[in-house]
Amino acid sequence: MTQIKSTVDRAAMAVSGGLILLGVVVLGLIETLAGQPYGAAPLTNDAGEVIAMPLIDPNLRTGLVILGLVVLLLWGLYKLATPMAGGDTETTPVESTAD
Amino acid sequence: MSTNTANPLAGEFELAMDGPLTAYWLAILRVLTGWWFFHAGMTKLLEDGLAYSYGPMYMQGMEGTALGPIPVWMGNNLAWLIAPGVPLFETLIGLAIMAGVLTRLAAFGGAFFMVLFWVGNAGFGHGLVNSDLMGLLLFVTIMVLAAGRYYGLDAVIEKLQFVQQRPKLRYLLG
Repeated sequence: MTQIKSTVDRAAMAVSGGLILLGVVVLGLIETLAGQPYGAAPLTNDAGEVIAMPLIDPNLRTGLVILGLVVLLLWGLYKLATPMAGGDTETTPVESTAD
Repeated sequence: MSTNTANPLAGEFELAMDGPLTAYWLAILRVLTGWWFFHAGMTKLLEDGLAYSYGPMYMQGMEGTALGPIPVWMGNNLAWLIAPGVPLFETLIGLAIMAGVLTRLAAFGGAFFMVLFWVGNAGFGHGLVNSDLMGLLLFVTIMVLAAGRYYGLDAVIEKLQFVQQRPKLRYLLG
């Protein structure tokens, strides 16, 4: 099904996917295992006082996800800028039989 | 095995549809996501017109986020664009996605908005994966799966000779 073969394609998918999963899942697991707060926001008591801070700065985690999305964007721009495998001009559909 | 040389992007983006259900659900997903943004933009237009002053204020308050000084700078210097742009672009993005016109371009705009909302709202009390991130993922999914091709006008537009001669337009359509 897929024709994504080049090193750039594979690298873009690996890096962007890796960054997004690192920011959300891997660091989220570490944050959870580190104890309260299990989320990524400070824990407050009924008086509104902060009683526990997240182990990992949420800015770092959101930054990793955004970086992953930026890699996807750059990949898309790269695909736009480089010649297509089948050429830039549309050709007549051809049904051919494989060997 | 057959080879389709008509669409160089076919192997890259086409989803091997598992019967009509996938196409049906992609269309439902697209229309509901589009309505979400259309409604958000249209109600702002009805209430504030093109003077949505909360937009620049919101961005001016986005200090100390992962986006660094960018949103604050935008709030301070691009208020002339943000105040009318938020309701206008939300409305247009919603309309485009619902109709399936320039779907990928519109979904990119939606994803851009959702990055700002996700980071700006910072509703991380139950973790990073919240409704804002889900909205962001919806737009990226619409982009990746070219959801406008399924019961959307991009299916027709992509067959126009103008697009057939410029297949890279499919990166913006679809």
